[in-house]
Amino acid sequence: MTRTLRCRAIAVGAAVALALTACGGGESTDTSASTGGLEKTTIKVGALPIPDPVALYIANEKGFFKEEGLTVEPVIITGGAAAIPQIKNSSLDIAQTNYVSTFAAVERGEKIKLVADMYQAGENTFNIMVPNDSDIKTVADLKGKTILVNNLRNVATLAVETQLKVAGLTEADVKFAEKPFPEMGNAIAGGQADAGWLTEPFITATQSQLGFRKLADTMTGETENLPIAGWMATDDWVQKHPKTLAAFQRAIAKAQALVSNDRKELEAMIPTYTKIDAQTASVITLGSFPSELNADRLQKVADLMLEYGYLKQQIDVKSIIVAQPSDG
Amino acid sequence: MTRARLTRGAIGVAGFLIVGELVIRLWVGRTFDFPAPSAILYEAALLPVDPEFLEGSLVTMGNWGLGLLVAVGIAVPLGVLLGSLPTAEQAVRPLLEFLRPIPSVAIIPLAILLIPDDAMMKVSVIVYASLWPILINTLYGMHDVDPVAKESMRTFGFGSLAVLGRVSLPSAAPFMATGVRIAAGIALVLAVSAELVAGGVNGLGVYAVKASSGNRMDLIMAATLWAGLFGVGANLVLQAAERRLFRWHWLRTGGVRT
Repeated sequence: MTRTLRCRAIAVGAAVALALTACGGGESTDTSASTGGLEKTTIKVGALPIPDPVALYIANEKGFFKEEGLTVEPVIITGGAAAIPQIKNSSLDIAQTNYVSTFAAVERGEKIKLVADMYQAGENTFNIMVPNDSDIKTVADLKGKTILVNNLRNVATLAVETQLKVAGLTEADVKFAEKPFPEMGNAIAGGQADAGWLTEPFITATQSQLGFRKLADTMTGETENLPIAGWMATDDWVQKHPKTLAAFQRAIAKAQALVSNDRKELEAMIPTYTKIDAQTASVITLGSFPSELNADRLQKVADLMLEYGYLKQQIDVKSIIVAQPSDG
Repeated sequence: MTRARLTRGAIGVAGFLIVGELVIRLWVGRTFDFPAPSAILYEAALLPVDPEFLEGSLVTMGNWGLGLLVAVGIAVPLGVLLGSLPTAEQAVRPLLEFLRPIPSVAIIPLAILLIPDDAMMKVSVIVYASLWPILINTLYGMHDVDPVAKESMRTFGFGSLAVLGRVSLPSAAPFMATGVRIAAGIALVLAVSAELVAGGVNGLGVYAVKASSGNRMDLIMAATLWAGLFGVGANLVLQAAERRLFRWHWLRTGGVRT
């Protein structure tokens, strides 16, 4: 085998590998003076197909973004953690995230900022559910049992741990197992696990279709009104697009206020972007939709995480939020 | 004969559905929450009039077709090149044998990180996964060329390009077509998987993500049924094209019935 041939062969191989990873490049940032000086007028915003980000769709439909000169293209994401690479490589401008994931990511060194609040837990919005005939009657009965959560070491396990603590148990007394929400009901019914940490529409669905009962509301005591989800962007994006961000924040805050005051708006919007039908949307239990990104409320999440060992060091939440400029 | 085969096939499908319906209604459904075939078929029948699903299917099929075309564009010339230059093939072979068994679904997270454009990312993983069967089949096709035919051409004074064009390519073409048909199935898997992992504005997989978050197992299954039908459809079209284009090859290999 001659040397040149082999070199050529390797070059061909390398070329194929490069072609496969060929990047899109050519990022288009449309700057235009006619739209109030927004650095970018069209943004892609990632959101889960669940009730929490309803304000995004309300703001779009009611023209709140348009009033700000902003065109928002909603993109379905599969999870807050999965969206981090997407905001980092600019395939998304802003994305939904849950606060526990965000603070854990910040401690890992991810350069991200919270830019708007989205969803806060209310009574019975995140419950531990068990089959009706289960011999688990109180949280203390969970000792030695398997509890399904949507993600390990995240808001689910944190919320359950706060309730275990009240019952005199710790994380070590139970077994957590990971399972997506849609599969939890059947897994518990089939005996794979004893209990599950569920949210809507799955609380209602497991009650009506599998006859489950609520064992405990995990959003009481230390976790009462726990902030759950918000909007995030990278440090870099926030620095480069202050006006676009302010426009987004104003429109979202307006939509959050509308949703908070009128549940009918929310019920009408949910079936348009999720697969939750109007009938289900009218009966599910929902938390609240705060208009203001409040550092004090969010600090509670970070402090809980520190208390339960989800963070190694205290995080000053003020340093990672970019609040809406007042009357900007 | 085809009618008898069709009838038997239909009986098989109907029997499967009836058994499924009974098992789910009388047994599985007592403990679990799972839609019966009739419920799934009902939703599946409604999906083609759902604009969101239609649009999503078009997006996914578009990525699929484009990915497959690009893969053919890369893998066929590469396969022909490597097949005609044995030394080059020996050099590239270890790399190929290393990359080929990596489950293509596993590269999706990497692709999300590296490729900022959503459509480009999805098409790229489809291309990556589709390359291998086409490339490998093309290589086999090139190795399978009758040496006597090649030598005869050379004896009559034809150059190597003429030998390639008149003997090697026509002889290897049926292999390439089989590679494309195998790749089409794999490409569909990747087209949907990429959407399931990365999300997106629209698509079959995105539809399934939404249905899952809304606790609509019936819609997930209905969308899955359509994805399966698209796959079967593509296979039938490609197989028919193969038979028509390479009739001679079909006859030579004894017209294997598939």
